[in-house]
Amino acid sequence: MRNIMVMAQQRTVEILLVDDNIGDVVLTKEALKGADFSNHVSVARDGCEAIEFLRRTGKFADAKRPDIILLDINMPRKNGCEVLEEIRCDEDLRIIPVIILTSSEAEDDIRRSYELGANCFVTKPADLDEMVKAVQAINFFWLTVAKLPRTL
Amino acid sequence: MEKSPPAAALRPQELVKFFDMSIDMLCIADFDGFFRRLNPSWQRTLGHSADDLCAVPYVEFIHPDDRAATLEKAAGLTAGTDAISFQNRYRCKDGSYKWLLWQAHADFQTNLIYAVARDITERKCAEDMLKVTAAELSRSNDELSQFAYVASHDLQEPLRMVASFLQLLEKRYDTALDEDGKKFIHFAVDGAKRMQALIHDLLSLSRVQTRARPLVPTDCAKIFRDVVDNLQIAIADADGTVTCDSLPEVVADSTQLAQLFQNLIDNALKFRGTEAVRIHVGAVRRKGAWEFSVRDNGVGIEPQFFDRIFGIFQRLQVCEHLPGTGIGLAVCKKIVERHDGKIWLESEPGRGSAFFFTIPDKKLAPVG
Repeated sequence: MRNIMVMAQQRTVEILLVDDNIGDVVLTKEALKGADFSNHVSVARDGCEAIEFLRRTGKFADAKRPDIILLDINMPRKNGCEVLEEIRCDEDLRIIPVIILTSSEAEDDIRRSYELGANCFVTKPADLDEMVKAVQAINFFWLTVAKLPRTL
Repeated sequence: MEKSPPAAALRPQELVKFFDMSIDMLCIADFDGFFRRLNPSWQRTLGHSADDLCAVPYVEFIHPDDRAATLEKAAGLTAGTDAISFQNRYRCKDGSYKWLLWQAHADFQTNLIYAVARDITERKCAEDMLKVTAAELSRSNDELSQFAYVASHDLQEPLRMVASFLQLLEKRYDTALDEDGKKFIHFAVDGAKRMQALIHDLLSLSRVQTRARPLVPTDCAKIFRDVVDNLQIAIADADGTVTCDSLPEVVADSTQLAQLFQNLIDNALKFRGTEAVRIHVGAVRRKGAWEFSVRDNGVGIEPQFFDRIFGIFQRLQVCEHLPGTGIGLAVCKKIVERHDGKIWLESEPGRGSAFFFTIPDKKLAPVG
């Protein structure tokens, strides 16, 4: 286990958090603070911003390519499913793991997310400790256990 | 005086008497579309005199929308097909219309149509009113369940923020807070969590409608095994034994039926007495339905509360250690009612409770 962590710590992990709820952004960042690896969280406040960020257009010209995307579903302008669809249709972006992190537990949302190629679907727990645990579990699996594609 | 046998033919004077007295409208019409003879009920019902009615083709009195169908029926009559339960609208003298229900037969020796019509306007109005009311009711029901669903979903979000940030405050500023400060935060978090539980339960109540699945043949024995499996930790904690009769197959929404059994058994485990918990699920065949029972040896319920416990958020015991918001039996009631059944209970304080519900026999819904 220690070996994996050492490997992960070699460089800062870039995380793109897409969420319109500032409260959730703060909570997720809070949960990431306790991570064993160095990470950098960028935030997009809706689906349109997320796409701009990923394509490095507008104010995101200097954006770093994320290693992983945490994506909410219910957002103004462009929702999470639309963003996911665009990512999966993009030659360059399609290999980035996308974790759906949402308050929804609707069966339809879960099914649709996986159909569109989400890597996993997590419902934000109502309890703070559970929320921290969920984010840590995502970190542990996706950023330490799992091997991610090398960024070109 | 000689009595005529019951089946003897009526004399012509007697027939005329009945013809004049009849509440229904009797008439004779020719194949050319004119009335030839009408009984007085026509004038009483429509207001037109018999002369006026006979003066022009009868189709003139028929509602424009019903004319084509009436002419088609008349053509059928002259081709030898009797008209049975045909309906159309006739114009009254005051310009309003009355719905008539017809029975007619053509006689080819005289080339005349013999017909009886009955004024069914009131019944038609009542039917229309009923249709409108039913449509309104169904719309308002849909709206209500949609409302409950949306409200519970959208209420969750801000509440999660309240609870989470209060907890964060508690965690981060633990040392800065005195005992009162900690207590206040504890009450606030507790309130938010209870509200979450209420919303969650309200959602589960509205799901009985919004997530309803078709009624299909369902093996109750399998449902029972699944439910006992789900509850095995709670059963072990209560030192409980759950048994059942041989259980039938019924036509039901299997998910909801499982929820029904689970809520009732869970309640029996929760409201236990001092002895080890014994729960028995029974099934008895009644006329047109299966009657199920869930019996326990728990604390029991006073009769005065029998009706109240099926209401939303009704709890009989204010107990910190008993979890739940008091929605379980309301959900049970809603599930049973969706299956057109009834739910009730028998109980005595200290002597356990028995909850009964019926699942009436059903024809299967058509596939697709």
